Amino acid sequence: MRGVRTGLVALSIALALTGCKVVETDNKAQADGAPAGPPPPPPHQMRAEMAAGDRLHTTMTGEDLFSNRCGTCHLDWGMGTNLITKQQVALGRPPSMGLLANRDDLTADYVKSVARMGKGAMPRQTRVDVTDAELDRIAAYLGKGK
Amino acid sequence: MDEGANRNAFRERGEGTDMQLTLPPRLSPQGFDAAVKALQGVVGAGWVMTTDQDRDAYADIYAPGPETLWGASGAVAPSTVEEIQAVVRIANEHKLPLWTVARGKNLGYGTAAPRMPGSMVLDLGRMDKIIELDPELGYCVIEPGVGFIDLYERIQREKLPLMMSVPGNGWGSVLGNALDHGIGYTPYGVHAKNICGMEVVLGTGDLIRTGLGAMEKNHAWHMFPFNYGPSWDQMFSQSNLGIVTKAGMWLMPEPDSSLELNLDIPEAEDIGWVVDTLTPLKLSGIIDQSIFIPSWLGKMVILGQRKDFWDKPGAIPDWRVAELLKEHKLGYWKVQIRVYGDEAVNKAKAEVIKATFKKHIATPMEEVWWRRGDPTNVMDTTLGVPSAVPLQMGDWVGGKSAHLGFSPVVPATSRHVLDQMKRSRKIISDHDVDFYASFTIGGRFANNVNMLMYDRDNPGQVEAIKKLFNALIADAAANGYAEYRTHIGWMDTIADTFDFNDHSMRRMTEKVKDALDPNGILSPGKQGIWPTAYADQRGKALA
Repeated sequence: MRGVRTGLVALSIALALTGCKVVETDNKAQADGAPAGPPPPPPHQMRAEMAAGDRLHTTMTGEDLFSNRCGTCHLDWGMGTNLITKQQVALGRPPSMGLLANRDDLTADYVKSVARMGKGAMPRQTRVDVTDAELDRIAAYLGKGK
Repeated sequence: MDEGANRNAFRERGEGTDMQLTLPPRLSPQGFDAAVKALQGVVGAGWVMTTDQDRDAYADIYAPGPETLWGASGAVAPSTVEEIQAVVRIANEHKLPLWTVARGKNLGYGTAAPRMPGSMVLDLGRMDKIIELDPELGYCVIEPGVGFIDLYERIQREKLPLMMSVPGNGWGSVLGNALDHGIGYTPYGVHAKNICGMEVVLGTGDLIRTGLGAMEKNHAWHMFPFNYGPSWDQMFSQSNLGIVTKAGMWLMPEPDSSLELNLDIPEAEDIGWVVDTLTPLKLSGIIDQSIFIPSWLGKMVILGQRKDFWDKPGAIPDWRVAELLKEHKLGYWKVQIRVYGDEAVNKAKAEVIKATFKKHIATPMEEVWWRRGDPTNVMDTTLGVPSAVPLQMGDWVGGKSAHLGFSPVVPATSRHVLDQMKRSRKIISDHDVDFYASFTIGGRFANNVNMLMYDRDNPGQVEAIKKLFNALIADAAANGYAEYRTHIGWMDTIADTFDFNDHSMRRMTEKVKDALDPNGILSPGKQGIWPTAYADQRGKALA
């Protein structure tokens, strides 16, 4: 059972360290007397807005496109961020690497492969979810690796 | 990194299957090519997607069995009503069946994949306009491509005093979820009831507006929920009788305050008195929300993977469950009640609720206040914050994790809830699968969702889950209960359980189907409704 506890502590710490702002809510104030648990999740992180225009020839930046098209799961405390944080911590990397935008080991080709072919819990993205032009820019933005 | 090596690595894991073209019944390759060309002329070549990789992307990522069983021939993504009408005309001309999805995120129920192999997915994801957003009367008019997060962010940006009702998967479409009878956890949690006034393209390409919208420029279209004469709105939900292109959806005015009352309930059998306590409070209006009562596993799936808690195959034994509940200070059930509105009224309601529960359990309820302007967090589903994090539960089993939901509807009394739970719990346990149930009291009924999680890379597990699912359906039907929604692979199976007077309801709907869509090109087989044109496909491609 030691493994379980270590795992839970690692996850709590991991989630606390993903760069999430910890918010003071009534939730916490009311929990007086309750055992100290992991910090509450952060507020919803707003995504960049989609610009009007032809998505097949986008003029948006890779950063904004990543925020909007991938942000449901890959911003603070998104499902993807949570799962990748666990994987990265298990590999001995800092929890902040759960956020794809912080990674320096991704290549543009790898990003495109995972988006189109899926990986683990990550579903394959259709060309309506993200167009080829959009994915090119997102991959260039995330692909800081060699 | 070498992309070729990546591809091979993915293939070995069964990902990126590069799905070959499956044609719909009786359509030749030449006929298909001609149809694709015609579609390209309407929406542009970039929005007709027919590569093997596209077919993969529209497959059911949680498919219980091979994805090719429900393979699409491709997808077409129009951006206007006029384009949808043109697509429908081409589909009629070329006998190309279409499978309509709003955003195609119906995870656990088939994702974007069609019931009938070879259908072309009509992806409405580009129809993502929020046409009206009215805080005064609390409603919006939206297209099917608008996701929960899109609508939520618009409300936040404009700082409008509105609160959404969101389901477990916030990635999906607001309209798609409501049309598929999805549920949320606020007073507006029965989402299909919030739809008011739709615009629909019929199978012939004709365009209609339901309710008062049948009058040109009617002002009350999205406020008054009935037609002059027979009302048809529900006919287009869980339906293949038309393509909803936009609809009014009622939104709850943001309350001044909200109070959450939390209580852990120790034993599985306690769900009986819990439901008998909550249902009268719900029916009398003390509690307005759809009350979600998840079992302990709902909390554990966020804490880690199954192997962290039980590292043997087969279901976690009861003694280990008891240990885990103790270790993690969890009850078997978590009752999380929320009241919404004026603070003084909420306080008074809380007193009634607490006094009622005190008759059964001494533990005091934890009280958590929220007042307008207070921050919310990503997990505040009951305060209308959309998130995809609940889908993380799939990680419980690891590997290429997936889930199916067995979801019978039961009357909200202890007699029925306990009866259904005892039977399904035994069957699930007999199949050596973890029991993860929840009940959501939406009124006089409860939706009992039993999450069945499995690793798609493990063929033995997939087969076991299918066997289990079939056993659950047969058992529930034999005892007078039905599912409210199901995966494409069981749509015919569930339709068969609605057997009154030799399936007279289905026979009627299929007559309507043939009348409105003579070529049967709109979503053949959806919910077990088959047009004459494809009646020979009934009972095929089952899970």
